Amino acid sequence: MEIRQFAENALTIYLGDEIDERINRQLVALRHRIDEMEIEGIGEVVLSYTSLIIYFDIFKTDVDALKAAVDQIDETALLEAEVSYRVIEIPVCYGGEYGPDIDSFEENGLSADEVVELHANKEYLVYMLGFMPGFPYLGGLDERLHKARLETPRVRIPPGSVGIGGKQTGMYPFESPGGWHLLGRTPVPLFDENREETILYEAGDRIIYRPIDASEYKEIASRIEAGDYEIQFEVKGGS
Amino acid sequence: MTLKVTRPGLYTTVQDLGRFGHQSEGFSPAGAMDYRALMLANQLLGNEENAPGIEMTFKGATFEVVKDTVVATAGADMKMKIDDDHHPAGVPVHVAKGSTIEFGAAENGSRTYLVVPGGFKVETVLGSASTHVRSGIGGYKGRPFQVGDLLHAGAAGSATPYRIKDFDDGDGMVRVIPGQQFDRFDDDMKQQFFSASYALTKDCDRMGFRLDGPELVATPGHDVLSEPTQLGSIQVPKGGRPIVLLNDRQTAGGYARIGTVAHVDIPKLVQKQPGDMVKFIEITVEEASTLHRDEMERIRNGGYLEINNAFRSHGRPVARKVARIMKR
Repeated sequence: MEIRQFAENALTIYLGDEIDERINRQLVALRHRIDEMEIEGIGEVVLSYTSLIIYFDIFKTDVDALKAAVDQIDETALLEAEVSYRVIEIPVCYGGEYGPDIDSFEENGLSADEVVELHANKEYLVYMLGFMPGFPYLGGLDERLHKARLETPRVRIPPGSVGIGGKQTGMYPFESPGGWHLLGRTPVPLFDENREETILYEAGDRIIYRPIDASEYKEIASRIEAGDYEIQFEVKGGS
Repeated sequence: MTLKVTRPGLYTTVQDLGRFGHQSEGFSPAGAMDYRALMLANQLLGNEENAPGIEMTFKGATFEVVKDTVVATAGADMKMKIDDDHHPAGVPVHVAKGSTIEFGAAENGSRTYLVVPGGFKVETVLGSASTHVRSGIGGYKGRPFQVGDLLHAGAAGSATPYRIKDFDDGDGMVRVIPGQQFDRFDDDMKQQFFSASYALTKDCDRMGFRLDGPELVATPGHDVLSEPTQLGSIQVPKGGRPIVLLNDRQTAGGYARIGTVAHVDIPKLVQKQPGDMVKFIEITVEEASTLHRDEMERIRNGGYLEINNAFRSHGRPVARKVARIMKR
């Protein structure tokens, strides 16, 4: 564990230097430990691949006391900590107008059906969020689906698009330019300021993509409109 | 309704001090770039320091006053004119229904803040009124102002008897805390970073300022695993031109970070214009923290204010006459 400070109101704790599910598990457990400590003035804790940042109020928090408290946490115990996480199901209509790049995987020897087979119905770990609100950095993409980004990025990617960029898969909560290959789209708003959970997932959760067809897409979209669609999720792990 | 936008200016948005607590979900804090100017403008009207104000950039907006109120400004001098009378920045002024408040090009800075009693009333998103244009949330419909936008003051109120003191932020000295990847830059590079001057390019906006100057090379490479960004993070992508990340920054970034601009010098930096030069000075995070605390106390305890001897009222004939007599 390495404790560093690069800003007046933030402490950074490093637990490693590579993308690793074990490090994510330790970071999630560490976030829980910090929450439990109830140190005065702690604002928010932000996770990334190898570190977490604790933001604090410089008028309320004794930074040396905070450092000392964090330093006492046993790193190996973090790995054994039972931390629960959610598996959030995101329905995706693959191919067609929603996934215009799915056929380009034929270059990689994969039919559209095979792409769906490899991409859907498996858990992807949310390592962190960033780039735009609700954009998840997901781990666990099958190597056969790795594909260099488009040479000419699209000017406009519609919100809800699910795609692949290099070794990563993810989805766009907001319209954006981007160079990812688009596989499909979800009718579920990934950001909704009127929903209790504005963003559906956090670092440490898992995402699972469930294939739906175009008529289900429309049905879910109209149910969302009417306010009677419930996002499916399951709580796993923990004790 | 209090003000109506008749000309929107170059880039005008509603901002408070920022949206905190949601960076882990990817929400940029947004908020007033010159936090000190917004706090001072609010002080002039006795508002809470976080009350939403209008941030104008480079070229100001024009408003029609729909209801009598009092306004205060801080930050760059945009040559505020009420009807045909000039008013200095940093002085509260009464405006009467039917008047026009006009702002011109920014001088001695690039951003001007305008507040009304109680702040501007907009819906808050995730606890903040700040506009974040890239995600279309907060402020006035999540976007910069357009002609015809109608703005409401949060409360009725009056001016305090204060004005903002003259102070000089003109030097280009910007203090910097060593950053996450400071040691990816060798001693020669560090020395260059802290001795050369860097110029603000035209690519300077609410997301970040791109600077131009001697190339900074990180021998082990410029790409790193994505990590959370901070206000003032100075990232150096391949090509060696530093970028200072500001309020509308992405919450994660994957370029080597040589330093973090000390909070105390953010207002000075964000008031620079393209072409202006800055020089970076190394300080420790402990020094930066002390400076930040002292500066916040100075702002909050009235350190930037003085008694306003010539309280101005516009649209009231007697006060106008008095003001004219006093000018002689």
